[in-house]
Amino acid sequence: MKLNFIKKLIAMLTLMLATLVLTLPAIALEIPDIPDAKDGVVTFKSIEPDHRVGYTVGDILTRTLFLEVKKPFILIEESLPIVGYEKRYKGQITGIELRSITHEKDEHSAFVIHKIKVSYQIFTNSVVAKPAILPAEFLRLINVNSHGKDVVRYRIPSYEIAISPLSIFGAVKIEADMSDFRGPLLLNAHDETQQLKVALVILGLSLLGLLYIVGTHAWLPRMGGPFARAFKSLRKLPSTQQGLQLAVSQVHKAINTTSGQSVFGDTIDLFLAKKPSFSGLKIELEQFFGLSRQVFFESSAAHSIQGDPLKWLQSFAKRCRDCERGLTPEALNTNKAKA
Amino acid sequence: MSDRQLADWRNHALALETEVNKVVVGQQKPIRLITTAIFARGHVLLEGDVGVGKTTLLRAFTRGIGGGYQRIEGTIDLMPNDLVYHTYLGEDGKPHVSAGPLLMSGENLSVFFFNEINRARPQVHSLLLRVMAERTLTAFNKEHYFPHMIVFADRNQVEKEETFEIPSAARDRFMMEIPIVVPNDDAIMQSLVFDTKFHNVDALVDMVNKDVLEFNQLNEFSSEVQQSVTASETLQKYALNLWKATKVPTDYGVKVSGVDMNRLVLAGASPRGMSMMLRAARVNAWLNERTAVLPDDIHAVLHETLAHRLVFSPVYEMRRTEIAREMLAGIVNAVAAP
Repeated sequence: MKLNFIKKLIAMLTLMLATLVLTLPAIALEIPDIPDAKDGVVTFKSIEPDHRVGYTVGDILTRTLFLEVKKPFILIEESLPIVGYEKRYKGQITGIELRSITHEKDEHSAFVIHKIKVSYQIFTNSVVAKPAILPAEFLRLINVNSHGKDVVRYRIPSYEIAISPLSIFGAVKIEADMSDFRGPLLLNAHDETQQLKVALVILGLSLLGLLYIVGTHAWLPRMGGPFARAFKSLRKLPSTQQGLQLAVSQVHKAINTTSGQSVFGDTIDLFLAKKPSFSGLKIELEQFFGLSRQVFFESSAAHSIQGDPLKWLQSFAKRCRDCERGLTPEALNTNKAKA
Repeated sequence: MSDRQLADWRNHALALETEVNKVVVGQQKPIRLITTAIFARGHVLLEGDVGVGKTTLLRAFTRGIGGGYQRIEGTIDLMPNDLVYHTYLGEDGKPHVSAGPLLMSGENLSVFFFNEINRARPQVHSLLLRVMAERTLTAFNKEHYFPHMIVFADRNQVEKEETFEIPSAARDRFMMEIPIVVPNDDAIMQSLVFDTKFHNVDALVDMVNKDVLEFNQLNEFSSEVQQSVTASETLQKYALNLWKATKVPTDYGVKVSGVDMNRLVLAGASPRGMSMMLRAARVNAWLNERTAVLPDDIHAVLHETLAHRLVFSPVYEMRRTEIAREMLAGIVNAVAAP
């Protein structure tokens, strides 16, 4: 029994040893026997595909690699990747094949720039999105002064991508996919952005409209009434006879508009009965119609206004404007006392 | 004419008004309007019911201004020659002809009162209107002149039986149509009924001072008033707008309740009517111590000088007085000056 066990143990160990021996050549193939190029020998730059995700079977991805190889090292062009060579990862065919390669050289005195354009085609797919890589490529360099003894290798880094299925089966919970390729999940704010832009345009137009209204019309209740407009226009009139005529005419117009009908010297009481808020201005209204009589109808007639009639009219229009707004007008000036 | 003379005449005019107001109470506005018409030398149509004092009013004025006063009653059988002469058999048994109301006072005729003018035939209207317009009459192979005559005619607008409506062309000859209504003041009404001084019209009229004015100087003075009282450009424009508004009131937004304004007016005020209105307005300005016409002066005479000249569609003629008043008030409200 014991002997039997020992035999089995020996057989097992022998099998393990044989397996180990048999796998040695394979291990030897994986282990590079060429040293890596030292820093500074190769300067690498690349132009990668413009996105990393969203590829599916049939897509072609192109990498453009720029290698600046400093002399005395030169690139062994035979080490460039071969079109059609199947890449494997952990023994499995990756499904990404090199489809084409172009190589250009630009020689300088101290270095040579190699422009290598490699295109890979995807021949694999999955029912879910899965990561993949455009494989790393190993290039060999040789020191031309070493008589073939100083050979180094340079590893072109791989490029990670994600391959998407042609169609999706079942519900996809995107939040569960924490792929680095996906980046942060962003809300689609397109509609809101559009609405915001429209709102800003409307706001801008409204502000312009409001500025226009402020400039020309009333924008609050009781503003922009006939007397407010008259007061505004009176301030711009020159202190001439023509300006005075225009001013009296403007105030007449304001009174008529406020009353809703033409008001004359003999209908002041009717006006006040209709618009009691002006009752405090009865004396001034009479003075105004006296001035109007002198300006428009009877130049020889006297009126009871002291000082510059235009300034008095401005003050009168302002007081009327206050009445129009439902305010108590400012205290009467000296003209009232003299009236 | 100097300002002093104008003031003197004004004082006389106001004194006349005061005298008439003593005997005809509660009629201040008609009295002012008749005074205005006398100084503007315009004929007047009085509108009012029977017994409201129209005759007393005219007699009082006649006494105040002096000159002859004649009166005739309009009847359906009145003929034009009844105004000029009448025939009768004298005591000698022979036919005689004597002067009628128009000729009786000769050139001194100052007031001719035609009572109930709308009862007279159109032939009578025709003669009267010629005398009104030309102040002359041809009779007995002679031209008779009435340079100081003012015609006051009366019509009763309510009663329509056996009447002849005065055509618009005839109405246009009158400067004013003045309504005479019973005062609605209780004290005045009571006085008119119970105060015995109002019972005897002759005695009442005799209370008016005689010859406050000199009737034969009124024409000349009237011309002076018209020349001395000015009308500014603004006022002329205002009057022009008023005129336009009487023609097409809808252009000025004038409305009258219950009336299709597009169909109402067939003809607005005539040029003669507007001219008379301005004459009357000038007199009103003078009476109010002004040297220029104001819109207020026009308003004081607007209705009386224009209402009877407007020609309305026949469907609205029955409501003429009411519609004309509302329309003219609307025009005053709608037209601004300046």
